[in-house]
Amino acid sequence: MHIRVVLTSLALTALCFPAWAFALDKPKGDVILTVSAPHLDHPNIDETAQFDLHMLEALASRTGEMETPWTEGKVKFSGPLLRSILETAGAHGTKLKIIALNDYSAEVPVEDAEKLDTILATRMNGETMSVRDKGPLFLIYPFDKDASLFNEKYFSRSVWQIKTIEVSE
Amino acid sequence: MTVSARSSGDIIRKASKATLILQSFAVLLLMGLVFLLTDISHRYAALQDGVRENALWSVYQLDREARRLHETLHVMLAERDGSSATVKALGTRYDILYSRMNILERTSFEREFKLDSAVERQIADIRSIVFGKVGAFDALASHGSFEPATWAPIDDELEKLVSATESLLVYTNNNVSTDRAEARQAVLALQLKSAWLVVLLVCCVVVLIFILRRQLKSVRLAGLSLEAISNELNDAYLDAEAGNRAKSQFMATMGHEVRTPLNAILGTAELLELSPLPPSVAAGMHTIRRSGQALLEVINEILDFAKIEHGKLDIEVRVVDLQSVLATTIEMVRDRATEQGNQIVLHFPETFRIPVVATDPTRLRQVLLNLLSNAIKFTSKGTITLSVTEAETSQNSILRFEISDTGIGIDQAGLCRLFQPFSQVDASISRKYGGTGLGLTICKQIIEAMMGRIGVESRKGKGSTFWFEIPVVAAVLPAPSAALGDHCLPGTLPILKILLVEDNLVNQQVAAGFLKHLGQKVTVVGDGFESVEAAAHEAFDLILMDMQMPRMDGIEATRLIREAENDRESTPIIAMTANASEDDRRLCEEAGMTGFQSKPISLQQLRAIIETQGLLMSEASTGEVQAIDTENSFAVRKTEIEAALGEEAFQELLSSFFDDATKLLEGMHEALAANDYRSADRLLHTMKGAASSVGLQRIADTSQQLRSGTISENSITRLADTIGEFRQRLAA
Repeated sequence: MHIRVVLTSLALTALCFPAWAFALDKPKGDVILTVSAPHLDHPNIDETAQFDLHMLEALASRTGEMETPWTEGKVKFSGPLLRSILETAGAHGTKLKIIALNDYSAEVPVEDAEKLDTILATRMNGETMSVRDKGPLFLIYPFDKDASLFNEKYFSRSVWQIKTIEVSE
Repeated sequence: MTVSARSSGDIIRKASKATLILQSFAVLLLMGLVFLLTDISHRYAALQDGVRENALWSVYQLDREARRLHETLHVMLAERDGSSATVKALGTRYDILYSRMNILERTSFEREFKLDSAVERQIADIRSIVFGKVGAFDALASHGSFEPATWAPIDDELEKLVSATESLLVYTNNNVSTDRAEARQAVLALQLKSAWLVVLLVCCVVVLIFILRRQLKSVRLAGLSLEAISNELNDAYLDAEAGNRAKSQFMATMGHEVRTPLNAILGTAELLELSPLPPSVAAGMHTIRRSGQALLEVINEILDFAKIEHGKLDIEVRVVDLQSVLATTIEMVRDRATEQGNQIVLHFPETFRIPVVATDPTRLRQVLLNLLSNAIKFTSKGTITLSVTEAETSQNSILRFEISDTGIGIDQAGLCRLFQPFSQVDASISRKYGGTGLGLTICKQIIEAMMGRIGVESRKGKGSTFWFEIPVVAAVLPAPSAALGDHCLPGTLPILKILLVEDNLVNQQVAAGFLKHLGQKVTVVGDGFESVEAAAHEAFDLILMDMQMPRMDGIEATRLIREAENDRESTPIIAMTANASEDDRRLCEEAGMTGFQSKPISLQQLRAIIETQGLLMSEASTGEVQAIDTENSFAVRKTEIEAALGEEAFQELLSSFFDDATKLLEGMHEALAANDYRSADRLLHTMKGAASSVGLQRIADTSQQLRSGTISENSITRLADTIGEFRQRLAA
């Protein structure tokens, strides 16, 4: 009886404070992506949201088969949608700075995540990508859905070997 | 006109040549545009090819990552730092370098640059160093133990790698610069080409505008000259039309001018023939009258033809009793046929299926008369047969008339010339038989105007058959005209007060002489003006009005007389004119005239007018002159002959008639006994002619009746009784 009351009140509290309820788990495996922002709704480590492969693959995702300037022939990319990563991290802002392992970075407007089905590809042709193979994360625009994206503007935003996303106003 | 026509033709031809040039220019223009478009699309494709990872950037990244790896390893060796974090960082550095090397392999570096052997060797070195260290780094990643002794030589190799990537970077940069310069050159060339194309385009447009302007100008000029030509043609047409009208007017005037004196000649001759003349003079008189009539026919034919040529052939449809038209037509030519020793045979059904039709009786009679006169003219001592048959087609009823003769016939060549204006079978025909050669043309035109067909079959020496067919529509005779027909027995003439309006003195004398001869009270005036005055002062039963007169013409006079009459009973006014056109007829009717008579008027025609008028009057005033019978006709004829030849002569004529009649009756009995109906018919015809010439109309009528039925002994006896009756009465 008592236990039930406590559980109910906990559930109610969870409804009232969603931030608590959906607090991000801590990564169990190797961290492959860190999302940072001036303020995050769901940070898990030191005011940043850090993800391992397992966490990323649990998010809403899409798979697309397409040609890119960096691959040969049609390649199937799959991975979580950029916007679901931002939502999970509780990041708010207008600009994203995508930073690669080699410190290359590109500025991407948040609209690209919200309006386009942009993914952070974790797998190419079903296989995870090593750093030698542009892994572990590759920002892929939906070139298969919209041919008008196939130009240098989006190529330069298509960062690979991604390690960090910085969200800013 | 021809000059301007030719010049406008030239203009049009030039314009079309210009159009051709214009078209080729347009094609050239199009080709230029297509060329430009293809070029642009080629360039675009080239640009698409360029949408690749930038080679220079790739080489730069490779160089940079090689340096960073070398630096990391160098620092590790110098500081002897083998911690796992630095080992991991070293692994990552190598992985990035490895991926960079991969990228460089994939960026179609070879495709973009024409590599010389030295560079190829350099790239091969770089590849072998980078990929050659995979084993060492994989081992490092799995064991995590950093052995400085193992890594020192790798550090040296990496130093070589850095210098190799650096020189590759320099080489690539040079190459890219050259490429860029070349690309600029290509763009410049393209721009130049585009400029040329634009110049060509502008040229084309300019030429286009120029040619269009020229063409517009020439079209306008051509239009103007065509308009001028059309105006000239119109003027020429109007001139021609005016000339034609003048000719027609001239024809009409000449017709009138010829017919007026001819009228006088014919009238006088007829009048003179009525008075006792010595036989030689009488024969001359007869010739004058015959020739005059022939001349009149010729003139009428020519005037008719002129009318037809101007498309003024009017068909006036009236209700027509076929039988009476045929009978009167035959009567009109019978005398002439007899003169030539010809016999006329009529073949038509006892009763027509459609006895009364709507057609133009005057035109029908004209055609029949023409064909019959031709048949008589070209036949001597033969037979002329007029047969009429009715045929029925799906749409209408057709009457077919056939006039066959046993005359000279026409050969094949001659048949072709028939129905052509002014042509006769051959020159000898016109010399021998005379005639205008217009008769058949007129017939053809009339029949065609009646929607019919006309044709001929003939063999030289065997005779000819002219035939024509006209579609007819059944009609009903109006009751009063039927009654008039019943009463219309020649003989009695009422005595009328007649006003004769005529300006020509001779015509006055002739017409007045005829009227007086017919026992009429005549008042003669010289023009329309006087006629109006006379009509105002005195009531007339009939006015005979000439059309063309000085001071006031017939039309105007009639109009004034009708105005003066107001609501009094109107006096019948009959127009007399030599200009017997349809227009005149219409004018007369509009002015209020009762009837219309073309000049010259013969004694017979005058008699008919007076008879008709008397009948109309008698019907109006309850039959005062109802007693029209054979006795009266006899009395009139007697007066006529006595006036002309004297009383004694008439008595002689009468007695010789009765003598002849006895002989004729005997002949008939004999013929009947021998079943020779033809002779009997001929004898009856002679009897009829003789009887009517002395005014014994009843005998004439009875003879004619017998002819139309079957002749029997009984009927001959009845005729004999009638003759006997008259003989007794006249002897008394």
